[in-house]
Amino acid sequence: MLAYIIRRVLQSVLVLLVVGLVAFSMFRFVGDPIDNMLGQERTQADIERLRDVLGLDDPFPVQYWKFMSQAAEGNFGISYRQGRPVSDILLERAPATLELAAVSGLFAITFGIGFGVLTAIRRGGLLSSTVMTLSLVGVSLPTFLIGILLIYLFSVELGWLPSFGRGDTVMIGGWSTGFLTTSGLKALILPSITLGLYQMTLIMRLVRSEMLEVLRQDYIRFARARGLRERSVNFRHALKNTLVPVITVTGLQLGSIIAFAIITETVFQWPGVGLLFINAIQFVDIPVMAAYLMLISVMFVGINLIVDLLYVAIDPRLRSDSSKRGH
Amino acid sequence: MRSLMLAAGLAATLAPPVAAAEFRWASTTDPQTMDPHAVNTAAVLGFLNNVYEGLVRRGKDMAIEPALATAWEPIGDGEGWRFHLREGVTFHDGSDFTAEDVIFSYQRASSPEADTSSWFAPVAGVTMVDDYTVDILTTAPNPIFPDSIANWMIMDSGWAADNAAERPAKEAENHATLNANGTGAFRVAARQPGLETVLEPFADWWDTAEHNVTRATFTPIQNPATAVAALLSGDIDMINPVPIQDAARLSQSPDVQVIQGIEARVIMLGFAHQAETLKYGTDQGAPNPFRDVRVRQAVAHAINVPAILQTIMRGNAEPASQLVSPSMRGFSKDLAARPAFDPEAARALLAEAGYADGFSFGLKCPNDRYLNDESVCQAVVSMLAQIGIEAQLDAMPVRGYWPELREDNFDMFLLGWSPGTFDAEHPIRFLAATPNDEKKLGSWNFGDYSNPRVDELLPLIQSEIDDTKRQAMLDEVAAILQDEAAYVTLYVQPLLWGAASNIALTQRPDNFFILRWVTVN
Repeated sequence: MLAYIIRRVLQSVLVLLVVGLVAFSMFRFVGDPIDNMLGQERTQADIERLRDVLGLDDPFPVQYWKFMSQAAEGNFGISYRQGRPVSDILLERAPATLELAAVSGLFAITFGIGFGVLTAIRRGGLLSSTVMTLSLVGVSLPTFLIGILLIYLFSVELGWLPSFGRGDTVMIGGWSTGFLTTSGLKALILPSITLGLYQMTLIMRLVRSEMLEVLRQDYIRFARARGLRERSVNFRHALKNTLVPVITVTGLQLGSIIAFAIITETVFQWPGVGLLFINAIQFVDIPVMAAYLMLISVMFVGINLIVDLLYVAIDPRLRSDSSKRGH
Repeated sequence: MRSLMLAAGLAATLAPPVAAAEFRWASTTDPQTMDPHAVNTAAVLGFLNNVYEGLVRRGKDMAIEPALATAWEPIGDGEGWRFHLREGVTFHDGSDFTAEDVIFSYQRASSPEADTSSWFAPVAGVTMVDDYTVDILTTAPNPIFPDSIANWMIMDSGWAADNAAERPAKEAENHATLNANGTGAFRVAARQPGLETVLEPFADWWDTAEHNVTRATFTPIQNPATAVAALLSGDIDMINPVPIQDAARLSQSPDVQVIQGIEARVIMLGFAHQAETLKYGTDQGAPNPFRDVRVRQAVAHAINVPAILQTIMRGNAEPASQLVSPSMRGFSKDLAARPAFDPEAARALLAEAGYADGFSFGLKCPNDRYLNDESVCQAVVSMLAQIGIEAQLDAMPVRGYWPELREDNFDMFLLGWSPGTFDAEHPIRFLAATPNDEKKLGSWNFGDYSNPRVDELLPLIQSEIDDTKRQAMLDEVAAILQDEAAYVTLYVQPLLWGAASNIALTQRPDNFFILRWVTVN
C-alpha cells in the first residue's frame, strides 16, 4: 500500500517536471517580452540591460532550473507585466475563478440531473424534446458566442444583469467573495451559465441514457409491480443507481471547468486566473504563464492522484497485489 | 467631503451648476504600472496624465501650456532652458512642490532603470537656481525641448525616499508601481491591477477644475465585443477604442455617441534597404529589388490608399503623405499629396528597373498591433499583384513581430509611428536616421535606410531656434524621404471612442484620455 502511494506520488512529481519542461520550451516561441516592457523610445542599451536582468539570454536549461528550483520553494518570480510577485497575483485572482467554477459546477449538476431525469421519464414529451434540442445547441455553439449572446439579451436588451466583471466583492481574510453582495451574485449568473452549459448538457445526456438503461431493469419493474409510487421509483430506485458514473464524470469535469474558464473569463472580463493567463500570453509574461501552467497541472495531477488513492481504498484487490509485491 | 464642497463652490461661482457625477470608463489595456518613469507607453502615460503632472502640459489642441512651471525661457545662446516653477502646489499627500522635486524627478526619469531616459539624451545637467527656479542645460541648442517633456512627470522626492522608490523598477516590486503621489487633478483612491483603478478629484489641486466628476473608475475590458455591450447597456460611460466595424451601428443608437478623430499614428510600409538578397518568396536568394528606388516608387504608386480606407477602415482614416500627420508640428504642407494611385506608372517603373516580369518576396505584418493591420496587408498583397509582384504575407502577433524585424527577417514590413514629441523631428530620429546605437539614432529603422543628407540635417534641425529655417530643413528631409520612397506611407490611423450621450469630453490626437475635461450631464 505504502509502496504504491509512494510510486504514484513520484510519478506525479515526474509529470510536473515534464509539464514544466514542455511549457518552458514553448515560451521561446510565444515571443519576446522586452518589446512590451519598454516603450518606443527605448535604446539598444535598455534592451540589453533588461534582457540581462531578466536572464532571457541564459541557456534554456539554466532558465528552466532557476524557475523550477524557485517554484519548489513557492516563489514564482516577479510578473513582467505588473512588477509584482506572481504568487500574490495568483492568490488575488484565484477566488474569482474558484467561485465561478463552483457556481457553474453546481448549475451543471443541478440542471443536468434535473433535465436528465425529466427527459428520461417524459421521453417524447414536448418539454423534453425542447430541452434535448436546446442542449444540442448548447453543445455545438462555442462558449464565447453563447457568452456574447447572453450579454446582448440580458444586459443590453433587457438590462437585467451586468455585462461584465464581478460586481462588488467583500474581503474575508484575503479571500474576495462575490457571494455576499447583490451585485456580486447578479454578476455570477451569466458567466456561470456560459461556463457550465457544456457540462450541464453532458451530465444531462449521461443521466438520461443511464436512466433509460436502469428503467428497463427488472428491479424497477418489480418496484412498479409492488405498487410503489412513480416518484419513489424514479428518484429513490432509478436515479440513485445512475449516479455512480455521473459522480465520476463530474469529478473529472471539475478540472476542465477551471481550465475552460479562460474563454468565459475573457468574454465577461471576469478577473480570474484564466483572464490573467490570456493577458500573460499577450504580454509574454513568462513567470505568470509558467506559474499558471504549473498550477493547472498540479491540480490535474492532484485530482488523479486522489482518484487513484480512492481506488486503492475501495478496491481490495489493488491492495493485496501491491502488498504481495512488497514481500 | 472637502472635494465635494470645493466642486460645489466652483460650480456655483463659475458656471451654471451641473450635478456632480460618477464616471466609469474602459480601455483594452490596463496601465501596467503607476510609475510614470518605468514604462514609456501610451497606456501608462495617458492614464498617469490624470494623476501626475509635468512642468508643461498639452492642451486640448495639443499646444504646450504651463503646468508645474508658470513660464520658461531659453538660457543665453541656446545653452538650455530656465523654468519658473509654480508656487503653492502640493502633492496628493500634502507635501510641497519645490525645485528639489524637479531635480529628483530628472535623476529618476533619466536613470538607466527608467524607460524615459531617451527624453533626456540632449540634457547636460539640471541645476537648482532657487526653490522655484531650475535650469535645464542642453548639450546643444534645443528649441523643442519644452515640447519633448510634456510627459515627464514630477514625483515627490520625499515620498519616493520614504517608500524606497527612488528608482523605477520593472523587474522588482516597488512602492511606486502600485501607489501614486502626483500633483494632478485626480488622485488614485484604489488600485487593483488588471481589475479596476479608482480616481478621485484632488481637493487641493492648483488649477480650476472644469470637470464635474466625483469619482472615476477605470476598468480594462479586453474583448472589444464585451466593451461595446458594456457601453450599450450603460455599465460603462466611455470606451476606447470602438471597433471599426461597430462604429456605424453605435452612432445610430440614441444613447451612445461615437467620437472620431485622427490619431498621430502614421501607418507605412518599410523596406530592407541594405540586404543584398531577398529572404522570402519564390525568388529567395535573388538580388534585393528594393534597393532600387524605382521599385519602391512602383510600390508607392501601386497601392490604392483611398480604396483601403473606404473598405477596410470604412471611411474612418486619411491618407498619409509623410512620416507625420498634418496636425503635427513641422508637417511639410507643400508635400501633402501622397504618390497617386497609378498602376501603369508603377509597371513602367518596374520595367525600367528591370523587373518587367515581376518578382516574389515576403511581407511581414503584425495582426494585433494596429487597427485592422492584417486586412490592410492583405489588400497591399492584392494591389501589388496587380503590377505583377507577388508578396507572400506572413502575419503574426506583435509579441513575435518586433523580434523578427530586429533580426532583419523581412523584405518588406508594415509599421505604424506616433511621434511622442508631436514634432516631425521625432520620426526622422527613429525611422530615417542611419542606425547608430551610441548616438541613439535610428533605433526603429529596421530596414537600415541611410541618406547622408538626412543624417547631416537631423542635428541641425534639433538645434535650430529659428522656426522658418527649421521648417525649411524639415521640408528638405520630407522631400528626400518622399523622392526616395524610403517608406511608403499609407494613412493616418483613426481614433474612435464611444461614450454615453450624456458625456462631454475632449479627444486628443495622442489618444490620451484626459479626465479633467469630462462633464457628465
